[in-house]
Amino acid sequence: MKRISSTPRPGWKAFAESVGFNFHTFDGEPYWDESAYYQFSLEQIERDLEEPTEELHQMALDLVADIVRDEKELAQLAIPEKFWDAVRGSWQSQQQHLYGRMDFSYNGSGPAKLLELNYDTPTSLFETGFFQWVWLEDQLMRGAIPQGADQFNSLQDKLQQAFSELNLPKPFYFASVAESIEDKGTVDYLMDIALQAGLDCRYIPLEQLGEIDGQLVDLDGFAVQGLFKLYPWEFMLQEDFAGTILTSQTQFIEPLWKSVLSNKGILPLLWQKYQGHPNLLPAFFDDGGPLQPGWVRKPLFSREGANIELVDMCGKRLTQSGPYTDSGYIRQQLAPLPEFAGNYTLIGSWVVGDAAAGICIREDSSLITKDSSRFLPHLILG
Amino acid sequence: MTTFKRSKTARLIMMAPAAGMILAGCGEKPVEVQVFNTPDECAAYYNPPAECKAAFEQAKALHPQVAPRYSSKTECEADFGSGQCETAPVLAANTSEQPQQQSQQSSGFFMPMMMGFMAGQMLNRGGMTANPAQQTASASRNPVPSQPLYKSRDDRTTFRTATNTAVATQPGPASIRPSAVQPKPAMLARRGGFGAQAASRNTSSYGG
Repeated sequence: MKRISSTPRPGWKAFAESVGFNFHTFDGEPYWDESAYYQFSLEQIERDLEEPTEELHQMALDLVADIVRDEKELAQLAIPEKFWDAVRGSWQSQQQHLYGRMDFSYNGSGPAKLLELNYDTPTSLFETGFFQWVWLEDQLMRGAIPQGADQFNSLQDKLQQAFSELNLPKPFYFASVAESIEDKGTVDYLMDIALQAGLDCRYIPLEQLGEIDGQLVDLDGFAVQGLFKLYPWEFMLQEDFAGTILTSQTQFIEPLWKSVLSNKGILPLLWQKYQGHPNLLPAFFDDGGPLQPGWVRKPLFSREGANIELVDMCGKRLTQSGPYTDSGYIRQQLAPLPEFAGNYTLIGSWVVGDAAAGICIREDSSLITKDSSRFLPHLILG
Repeated sequence: MTTFKRSKTARLIMMAPAAGMILAGCGEKPVEVQVFNTPDECAAYYNPPAECKAAFEQAKALHPQVAPRYSSKTECEADFGSGQCETAPVLAANTSEQPQQQSQQSSGFFMPMMMGFMAGQMLNRGGMTANPAQQTASASRNPVPSQPLYKSRDDRTTFRTATNTAVATQPGPASIRPSAVQPKPAMLARRGGFGAQAASRNTSSYGG
């Protein structure tokens, strides 16, 4: 695993905008960053990332089966009691799931350490599946990277296959928060792939979803029978239409049981069941006491690095503010992100259905990866 | 053959406008539908009876959802004629599974009786299949759902949709613009029940 400086392709911004990638720059700072790329060996990809991803995914699914039957654990995960039956039902009726992403701390040797599961609303999908793929093809064509370079990125192929196999209701709706162009970009990409897979896709701003007699309806008042929602389950379960989730005849992607996995509480539960597994870090539900050096505190529900507190090995404290202060916390042993040329590097590893589907790389100037952390492409050589 | 760890292709058809997938609203082509009083009449026009029945059932199911609603029987009959109105049911969440229960529970509103139905272009008329090439592009979106038709008090020959669009004055084939006959539910939905957490947290993304 190496970080290699590289010359950005001339005109890449114009190309990005022509394909709807309007958030390549974030508050004036680069988000997509091709001034460097990461190079992995095939062994690093397959042995250290792909295989552990599939194994951890199976371990997590096995754990869901336990958790949905255990009221104490459902309570620990702060899932409202009113929805326990529905969460259990969604798992036991095997409601289908589409995708997820796990985040790793990995420096090229030794086991990758699982930092968290993003199993409900993972983003940076377009950047991974499409834009990073185009970067590789482009740079191969220009001779800017070694011939024979490959990329761990079958994300779009696997998503298209999943959409064609899922047997989703027609029409199938996609919803995101209207004002978030980043989320709209992610949903547009998924809709594009779904369209290629033959689905009848409709977009509806999340806030515009309607309700008639307990049924979610679209803008014309017709029943929404299938819905991809890029919006966290933990929010939906406490909003005005929460009760509608229980009565509406709607197939949700991701299904309600994903609320068990997209929850930092899954980390201590994984550690309880698989203590000592090489890809897991010790983790516990937080008792509220001061953090010891070498530990991280994370809210049960947070996104994009928000509200995380860590104390490094030397006792230096680092915190990230944010809007997720209203849930419980967990603490996890610190596996500091590796440093490359002054940047801290995080690896996101995608899962589509139950298969590993590629990686994405984020860099930040701090140990906490955030929404604004830069996205860098990668390649496989040798 | 080398196995690659990356997608074979990664193309976009909707996000990249250059690809030419533009769903234009103008220049809309009319499509042929069929209009009947009853499923038997439909079958008499050399349509497969099973398809006639299916189209009729689809229209009948849509009827309580799209028929115009009136707060009194008198108001309804003023538009549709004496004895031509019925009570409108409450729509349960899972209407498809409990049609019986649904129709027993009155909403307190009145609606006109269904006087006929329009079959979308799904009918395989007299064994003559519609041009399959024509079917794929537009018909994959099923532009004209089978739907109930009504007749107003002062014009007992014209078939009208629930939104009062005149579609035919006699049974049989009719040519219509799909956008003019899209059924719209008569009920008002509550909206804005999701998204409050996003508004209160104000971050750039609600994914992660």
